[in-house]
Amino acid sequence: MIRTIWALMQKEFHQVIRDRIMLRLIFVAPLIQLLLLGYTANTDVKLIYTAFYDFDQSELSREYIRSFTVGDYFVRRTSDIPLVEATKGFKENKFNAVMVIPVDFSKNIQWGKPGKVGFMVDGTNANSASIALGYANIITSQFNQRVSGFASPVSLGGKILYNPEAKSVYFMVPGIVATLLTVITMMLTCMAIVREREIGTLEQLMVTPITTPALLLGKIIPFALIGFLEMSIALAFGIIWFKIPFVGSWPLLYGLSFLFLFTTLGVGIFISTVVKTQQQAMFFSWFFSLFALMTSGFFTPIANIPKSIQYLTYINPLRYFMKIVRGIIMKGASLDALYPEVAAMVIFGLVVFSFSWIRFSKRVK
Amino acid sequence: MENAVVMDRLTKRFGDFTAVDEISMQVKKGEIFGFLGANGAGKTTVIRMLCGLLLPTSGKGSVSGFDIYRDSEKIKQSIGYMSQKFSLYKDLTGQENLRFYGSVYQLSKGDLRRRIDSLAESLDLREFIDRLAGSLPVGWRQRLALAAALLHSPQILFLDEPTAGVDPVFRRRFWEILYRLAEEGTTIFVTTHYMDEAEFCQRISIMHRGRLIEMGNPQELIRKYQQITLQDLFVNLISGKSTDE
Repeated sequence: MIRTIWALMQKEFHQVIRDRIMLRLIFVAPLIQLLLLGYTANTDVKLIYTAFYDFDQSELSREYIRSFTVGDYFVRRTSDIPLVEATKGFKENKFNAVMVIPVDFSKNIQWGKPGKVGFMVDGTNANSASIALGYANIITSQFNQRVSGFASPVSLGGKILYNPEAKSVYFMVPGIVATLLTVITMMLTCMAIVREREIGTLEQLMVTPITTPALLLGKIIPFALIGFLEMSIALAFGIIWFKIPFVGSWPLLYGLSFLFLFTTLGVGIFISTVVKTQQQAMFFSWFFSLFALMTSGFFTPIANIPKSIQYLTYINPLRYFMKIVRGIIMKGASLDALYPEVAAMVIFGLVVFSFSWIRFSKRVK
Repeated sequence: MENAVVMDRLTKRFGDFTAVDEISMQVKKGEIFGFLGANGAGKTTVIRMLCGLLLPTSGKGSVSGFDIYRDSEKIKQSIGYMSQKFSLYKDLTGQENLRFYGSVYQLSKGDLRRRIDSLAESLDLREFIDRLAGSLPVGWRQRLALAAALLHSPQILFLDEPTAGVDPVFRRRFWEILYRLAEEGTTIFVTTHYMDEAEFCQRISIMHRGRLIEMGNPQELIRKYQQITLQDLFVNLISGKSTDE
């Protein structure tokens, strides 16, 4: 049994190593994805190009504008477009925000009346627009305190935990690690089985006395190992390049990842039992990956998904694993904090894995 | 003489389609048995049932004395199988392919080395055994596949159109090898489209649309139907059957 599995594994590694294109796909593509996603899937909002229309031209109004432009959130854009045609500036992407300070701004404040300021943001990207508006509010209230000399009765002391700078890359990289492990192990396993069926070598194997467990283990262990290797490369890359603070326990992360593999490998085997060609296998795994990604909380928080669709996320194993990976890496979560997710994941894995195991029979249908 | 393969009203249906319809026959030990029939006659389905790849719908069958329903795993230890398609790994060398199958058949390291050596000698594999299987011409590939099927010294060899697409010189050599194997006591169950090959068989059976329509020694069959060649016999039998229906 052990010898057969070992022979199968050796064979599988020989094949992976000889297939140069596949080798690159397995090891280089994920790194490029990691880099791309780390930089592009960035939800931080910076460099909001703003046109300031200061009709007051007072010391106070200039001070107010300066408080906006000192950070790197708002960048001043001088505009020769008259205010009435400001929408043109938005359309031509000359600026993303407009601030209008009326003539009576400083006079009103000196008389103790509210100084009204107009602020418009391009809402094409709803997410960044509301974040920009949030920044503007904070800057304004800080400015108020400074000018009026006394603090507002209630001051909100906001603070972001675990990710103090709210850097999205800290959040994205663990997500990518989870995603990589899912897609790689599922897709490679499924493709490796279907390819053998397509070229007829599976039939050849099935007329040998090889047992189903040996056959399946010999097929999935190599890809589980490749999955772990990739996960480690991605993590190392995230820590060294993106400087992700890893605060949790390594053994816990790898242990739970191992449990998670039962699900992805199970799904991979399952797909291989329902499809006939590699194209079908590819399409099926792509479909599953997309579903798993969209409902995992990788991009959008699950709480933001409509209630009815939220129920769908419960049947997505990646949803649990995503929370586990992020919890361990970012918060240093321990097993007792994660046990609902771990339990769900283990149950899911056992069901899927044993179901696929049974479906995969040694006879040709 | 003992029977290596026994079929008794063996039947396989796929939905409404009856691929194999109540076939009964025996193959003796050490015999070269030719299994003929047009494309789609059901030959491959019969072989797959005998090799334990496919469960029959009804009927009985045994291979090497093992029941095809219950003991398919025992059957697998005692048979060698070569399918129509080349089914070794093209991205492995001949040597790697043979070592892999040797481990699957649980041969010990020493046995495996000796076995590969002797097969390389008798099947003339030496010159290409270290090349990638995918880079070999068809005739060489087939010899390599035969070596893989023979690694565990099976009692029965099932060959499904082993010489399809192989040139005449290679075909002749392939059959010389089969003859030698039969002399050593291996039963050979072979399907083919080449009538000159069928004449090398001690007995043949002709299958048509899932049914067995004739069986016997090739020369005797030619005499019985007063034909000149096996080719004529085959064509007449099959077209005769077609017009009957």
